[in-house]
Amino acid sequence: MSTGVKRETLIIGAPASLWLVVLLVIPCLFLLFQSLTPLSGTGLSLENYENLVESGTFQKALRRSIIVSVWVTVLTVLAGYPIALVASRASPRVRTLVMVIVIFPFLLSAVVRAYGWTVILGENGVVNDFLIGIGLIAEPLRLIQNTFAIIIGETHVLLPYMVLSLLTVIQRIDRNLEAAAMSLGASPPVIFFKVVVPLTLPGLLTGMLLVFSLSMTAFATPFLLGGPRSPILTVLMYQYAYTLFDWSKATAVAGVLLVLGLGFVILHRFVSRRLMRDAEAGR
Amino acid sequence: MTYQVTEKLWEKPLIALGRVFLWGSVCFWLVFVLAPVVVTIVSSFTAAEFLTFPPKGFSLRWYFRVMELDWFLTSLQTSLIVATVSTFIATVFAVLAARVLTRHRFRAKGAFEILMLSPLIIPGVVFGFAFFNVVLQFRLEGLSLLNLFVAHSVVTIPLMLRPIWSSMAGTELSLEEAAQSLGATPWTTFWKITFPMILPGIVAGAIIAFTFSFNDITIAIFLVGPETQTLPVQLMSQIEYTPDASPAAITSIIIFFTLILFFIIDRTVGMDVFAQK
Repeated sequence: MSTGVKRETLIIGAPASLWLVVLLVIPCLFLLFQSLTPLSGTGLSLENYENLVESGTFQKALRRSIIVSVWVTVLTVLAGYPIALVASRASPRVRTLVMVIVIFPFLLSAVVRAYGWTVILGENGVVNDFLIGIGLIAEPLRLIQNTFAIIIGETHVLLPYMVLSLLTVIQRIDRNLEAAAMSLGASPPVIFFKVVVPLTLPGLLTGMLLVFSLSMTAFATPFLLGGPRSPILTVLMYQYAYTLFDWSKATAVAGVLLVLGLGFVILHRFVSRRLMRDAEAGR
Repeated sequence: MTYQVTEKLWEKPLIALGRVFLWGSVCFWLVFVLAPVVVTIVSSFTAAEFLTFPPKGFSLRWYFRVMELDWFLTSLQTSLIVATVSTFIATVFAVLAARVLTRHRFRAKGAFEILMLSPLIIPGVVFGFAFFNVVLQFRLEGLSLLNLFVAHSVVTIPLMLRPIWSSMAGTELSLEEAAQSLGATPWTTFWKITFPMILPGIVAGAIIAFTFSFNDITIAIFLVGPETQTLPVQLMSQIEYTPDASPAAITSIIIFFTLILFFIIDRTVGMDVFAQK
């Protein structure tokens, strides 16, 4: 068996492999290749990337991507932690209800969510109507087509990922540890911060990495809620490719996104393996 | 078992406060999650000419209105065709790949697994652009329906693979071996023994892949043509110019069908399929 791949394996495995290599891997490599071949010269060079990094538009978009992702990560932790805690400790009925509400949006289209947020945050939306109604503001606030709207929308999209990665670690906590701490005289707040929180750190860390990386590479929601004037990296790439036809910049942004995406996956794998090993070693 | 709890007096209000804070924040965030969905559904029943929340009056007029909208009906048809065909292609590849991953042993298995999951690793928008780039190189942009089938089948393979893989890993190899030793051909063994056992995984995977394709904007935005607009892309461009409640009615219809599919998944394999990322 170690001398090579068996014929049956080859017959069954080849179609899917070929499909993905030809339609996904090669197009992405071709895009990378294009990003390294500037229009002016021949041969490979980093010229496209140098031009990109120098442009103010790119710097602004990169900064916006990072700001959005940091906020989304913080907000999903603030929201996800209590939800995961309640879902793991509440009665089965409450637990099911919470999980249905949290997980159902997984299947919701970005357009559907974005439309909902427009109804809520738009110029004549629910929030502005309310604030004007109680006399707090005279003119409607601009809550949509800006970075704020992207943060809200992406938090909504990525919250389930955070809840699920926290839930896996919270459910694994041995309840005897808490009972032991209690029998030794620790009060609930002490148990929570000294026993529960440290045990959930692996899930918290991997969840944060996952949410941050998905937020850095998300397109649909930032495109719909951010508008053309506040692009994050992915939206900037689309604008270069589709509206400005600046292929050398578009391919360079794609290269940056590809490296970011791969980098986060490798980091995520490394961190989660490391944490699992530490957890099993009982540290 | 009872434990001796040494509670200090000052801790009692603190614990109560913590509990109130915990439940308060959970309620707040659950409202946050539900808000865009609920607001859209409620405002779709407005009787007024323009979309308002809370709605003025109650009527189903916008639901009747959208049934007469040409762009809605044609793009819905396109989306349904694209989602069905791409899900079918992805199902075939995912079943084959799951079989390789559960029943075969070979050296490059790790590489094979990474390749099968690579559509999850590469950002969707980069794949959309890369695919579009190749389509332009070969001047195939006129075949947008075919491009959508193919591109969506690529990205949905890993989404389907996970539930099928786990249901295949849970099946008994001995049943297949028994069938084979009794003289069944591999083909018969697959359809009579393996397929029924992995069917729940296929159903769940197909629902996830179908909704992904049906909802997708990120990839479709690069590939749609003037004649083949998918529903989300078309809806996106129509919303800007539509102040009435017809987009609300359309999104409510989508939400309704999404809910049905969600509960089918919940009944067949459970919500845990979403936990594997």
